[in-house]
Amino acid sequence: MTGRTAASDRLPSAAEATAYQREWFHSLAARVDGGESLALANADAPHEVLRSLGVPYVVNQWWSSIISAKRAGPGSLGSVAARGLPDYSRQYDVLPLGAQDLPADRAPWGGLPEPRFAITERGGDVTHKIFEQWGRRAGTETFLLSRTAAVPAPEGWWDLVDHRWEDVFGAERIDLLQGEIEELIAWLEERLDRALDRARLAEVMALANEQAEWNRRTRDLLAAARPLPVPVTDIIPSVMVPQWHRGTRWAVDAARRLHDDVADRIGRGVAVWPGERRRLMWIGRGLWSDLEMYRAFQEEFGAVFVWSMYLAIAADGYARYGDDPVRALAARFVGLTDLLYVPPMSSSWYVKEALGHGVDGVVHLVADDTPGGALISAALEERGIPVLEIRGSNADARSIAGVRERIGAFLRDRVPARA
Amino acid sequence: MTRPRRPVVGIVGNDVPRQLVLASGATPHRVTGSWTGDVDPVARDLLGAADAVAGRILSQVRAGRLDCDALVVCADSQANVRLFYVLRSIAPELPLHLVDLPRAPSTAARRFARFQFAGLVAFLTGLTGQALDAAALARSADAERALGSALERLRARRRAEPPQCSGALALEALLDAARLDPADAVVRVDGARSDVPQTAVRVHLTGSSHPDAGLYRALEEQGCVIVSEDHDTGDGAWLGVAVDAATVEEAIDGLVDRHFDRVGGSATASSAARALLTRDTALLGAARGVGGVIRELDEAPAWDVPDQAELLGEIGVALHVQTRVHPGDELRAVRELARDLTGAAAA
Repeated sequence: MTGRTAASDRLPSAAEATAYQREWFHSLAARVDGGESLALANADAPHEVLRSLGVPYVVNQWWSSIISAKRAGPGSLGSVAARGLPDYSRQYDVLPLGAQDLPADRAPWGGLPEPRFAITERGGDVTHKIFEQWGRRAGTETFLLSRTAAVPAPEGWWDLVDHRWEDVFGAERIDLLQGEIEELIAWLEERLDRALDRARLAEVMALANEQAEWNRRTRDLLAAARPLPVPVTDIIPSVMVPQWHRGTRWAVDAARRLHDDVADRIGRGVAVWPGERRRLMWIGRGLWSDLEMYRAFQEEFGAVFVWSMYLAIAADGYARYGDDPVRALAARFVGLTDLLYVPPMSSSWYVKEALGHGVDGVVHLVADDTPGGALISAALEERGIPVLEIRGSNADARSIAGVRERIGAFLRDRVPARA
Repeated sequence: MTRPRRPVVGIVGNDVPRQLVLASGATPHRVTGSWTGDVDPVARDLLGAADAVAGRILSQVRAGRLDCDALVVCADSQANVRLFYVLRSIAPELPLHLVDLPRAPSTAARRFARFQFAGLVAFLTGLTGQALDAAALARSADAERALGSALERLRARRRAEPPQCSGALALEALLDAARLDPADAVVRVDGARSDVPQTAVRVHLTGSSHPDAGLYRALEEQGCVIVSEDHDTGDGAWLGVAVDAATVEEAIDGLVDRHFDRVGGSATASSAARALLTRDTALLGAARGVGGVIRELDEAPAWDVPDQAELLGEIGVALHVQTRVHPGDELRAVRELARDLTGAAAA
């Protein structure tokens, strides 16, 4: 056994993904200066249409994370408040709107070029109002897609969703989103004065499916690996950066590199912590303000975090096969968020993942805006898996004060060590 | 011989056409929660960060205090959608149905809305055992339109100079009307009359919906009279609307048209559309001020405020809003709102 990986021994695929992302972003301004139209799209919008039409796009939530990381959040929220809009509501979604008013020298990476298109589905009560504001900016138009509720909401969707998505989401929900994606396509074609090549969309869909397949293999490798070979904090950027480049050959290759890096470490017997005695699952958004927390329980408890939702949903949630690429695309987005948050789809999936990864305990960060948290915890406890619920926001350090102490007590009191 | 009791269908939200409920042989009963009262801790945990009003409805169901044979929940706010998901998980014995209407009238959205209303009809007829037919649709249309006429009369009384009905009485009548058969509702609405002091400041109310009339009363005790509102438990409630139709399909088509013609609650409307509604309704009532109380975690109305202020400013009407009002803090908020509204009117 090689032994513990050092913190500086970063997964090569993670470093590559991060470097690529920055380089790609800097190329955006040049493309927009050259006359290309930029789109700002929410995470659950059908990006593949933009990809197929050759429209560069930035994902709203990803750009929010950059704004936060570059400490431009307070200034951006100040801009929101200066318009008379609430700076306390949907902060993670509204940061890019506020950041557009920052001077270039205060904006992350020089700022986002002004988008021509702002596209979202109507998630929640406010997203459509945020994007309504985008549509009032000079040169930006907004397109809104419907968001439907999860009826039906079957358990065991992960075995069905890639091919039998009609059974999982219901034909009518997919009909609606398919019809609206067709309207989006026509809306973009008119403004761009070019037609969507449906064969190209089919290629993009195929690449996205190929990427999801690599993610699934990687997830399966990690689920089976004993001990854990890669820290979860390296897995996340390796998955999420390529996710926002979904439908490109680069993204497929990046997903394969991640798989190969993980397989290599398993083959070499690398362990995040050689004395692994407790395997933990982290449900909820990442605690980016305290990444060291994920390693803080190794020495005393032999406890490692083996799971996060980012790779797992990339493995199970995205693949959609079908002859009609627009319908398959609608099936990709019609209920993606439901899989993570709507019981019993969410709760049954977390139980499946917990069992598959052999976890001994779960730390469940229940954020203000995530529904169904109590039902997820109950489902895990019913299967004999102890859960520590932490109520708070990953973006607000104050709300998670004392979390390390609580996790320590949880491990001591409720999570027995393996022999 | 007594008539058999009609099943009572509880309705959370504002997207259910009462004509379909009545024609199916059931009585619609709007469930709105309240401004005050405890939210049980389990309900709070289950819903997460949702409007406290939804928490009170869930508490009511969990305590067995929902006196309905079935519950229909409208997906017209995230709090309601969460409530539906939670009830589906914890109350399998409760006949439960979701009405999920799109908001923009695309071809695909109209098709989905028709599907939603057809699903509602199937749920209702399964509950009552009574199939809809042309005669039932016609009877329910006539009855509901009579309620619509009564509501017009109520609006006229509220807009009179001086008003002939206080806002609190009007809201109570509207809330009751949404829980009664149309004939009883007409009587209830027509009975809503009161004297209003000449000196009361005429106010249009926006912001969060009002699940009960408590804050209306508090505001009016401090020198205001609420002559109109644009929230969806008041004059924005989908009451008194019906269509003529020979078949269920025709009725559904007509009601889908009506759905897309209206401005929904803040969570579903654009800020621009809601601001226009606020301004136009305030103008009709000759309101001297516009006020709003916005509950903590009922986020959508706060996003409408800048648009509302701008349009109202163009007609010289001031907007005063209390935002992020936490449970237990309502009366303080109303006192401050009343001070702002009456102070502005006196200036």
